[in-house]
Amino acid sequence: MNRFFLLVAVCFLSACSAVTTIDEYRVNNSAMELNSNESVVILGRRDAGHYDTDREFIGCVADKMQGADISIMPEQQFVDAIYPWFEPRTAPKGLARLKRLMQDTTIKAEIDRQHIRYLVWLDGSTESHGQSGSMSCGAAPGIAGCFGFAQWDKSSTYEAIIWDLRNLSEKGRLQVDSQGTSYLIGIVAPIPLLSPVKDDACKSLGDQLLQFFSNPDSTG
Amino acid sequence: MQTKTIKLIASVFVLIALVGCSSSAQVQITAGFPAVISQPKNSSATLVFSDEFRQFVAKPNKDTTIDMGSAQVALLTNAFKGLFSTVKIVSAADQASFKQGLVITPSVQEVQLSTPSDTYLNVYEVWIKYSLDIKTAEGEQIDTWFMPAYGKTPDSFMLSRTSAIDEATVIALRDAGAKLVLDFYRIPSVNNWLRTQPVKESGDE
Repeated sequence: MNRFFLLVAVCFLSACSAVTTIDEYRVNNSAMELNSNESVVILGRRDAGHYDTDREFIGCVADKMQGADISIMPEQQFVDAIYPWFEPRTAPKGLARLKRLMQDTTIKAEIDRQHIRYLVWLDGSTESHGQSGSMSCGAAPGIAGCFGFAQWDKSSTYEAIIWDLRNLSEKGRLQVDSQGTSYLIGIVAPIPLLSPVKDDACKSLGDQLLQFFSNPDSTG
Repeated sequence: MQTKTIKLIASVFVLIALVGCSSSAQVQITAGFPAVISQPKNSSATLVFSDEFRQFVAKPNKDTTIDMGSAQVALLTNAFKGLFSTVKIVSAADQASFKQGLVITPSVQEVQLSTPSDTYLNVYEVWIKYSLDIKTAEGEQIDTWFMPAYGKTPDSFMLSRTSAIDEATVIALRDAGAKLVLDFYRIPSVNNWLRTQPVKESGDE
């Protein structure tokens, strides 16, 4: 009997895992040069009408990289330092616009003063879809509870583009897709079994970005 | 006595619930704005911030007020300092003392707000429509420039109505600064005026 419950629990928990795939493009295989006094900025795209790349995800990726001794300048600090050139209206969408921006000596001087070497643009969102099932909750004197079953799919799609501010070139691109199904089971108390789709996307993207800054030969 | 106490407690709960459910918001924008990174043109401007503009309180709907007077004064002062080498701030156009340069009087035409209950989107949005009255120091009209600005919250999850409107308004004000720095010298009439100006020596004014 205990084995049966264990099997059911394992099935449920494994069903809540997320499937994550990463596509990577690098200009070359060597590690990107980053001196100890230089910083990386991770920025979210905010110019789309229907979504914003959420700050929580950007913070999560930044934490993953900071843990590996890479100096990360917080997004808001950078956007304030270079105001108003990285606001949603003015932020460069391509390298051509970045090159034009860096021709302005005032802007270039500020970026040099802040020792910012790379920009990592993150663009994407996490969305829920395919909701099905139902859950009913009720309460009466002396008794309360929820009964039912609901499930929904979640998918995270993010793209990271790395720009080198010294050479004004693109160093690489990463795309992460993470998908999973979450469940809510109502047996008196509602039991959520959530698929860590966004966390998986963040971890995968953070780990993969780190490899851009570390020598592939040294990691085997 | 016990019934009275229960009635009193119940009344307090009902009152708290009603106050909690009300959707009015009085927002005061207190955020600071960063200095503009820009090489100002070697020219001067007088900014006319009237008392009405300095104390402007927007009322986008009957339940909401946004006190944004001091924030927009700070924002526009910053932005114009990135456009002109010399900026003077006055309360009325007749106080302008530069012999050359522009006299710019900003005013707010309209502030619009949309909330999740209006649009069924998970964001708060704010539109600010500014108008800049641009004259020469001699009083000759150069242009009246309409300048819209827009701001929205990333989402409204876990945000109170007040803090969401505050955040969207600050983003809209920052957008106004960005549009001003980006587009002011692209206004054809301003561009033409600038080309007719003699090169200013330091200490001219």
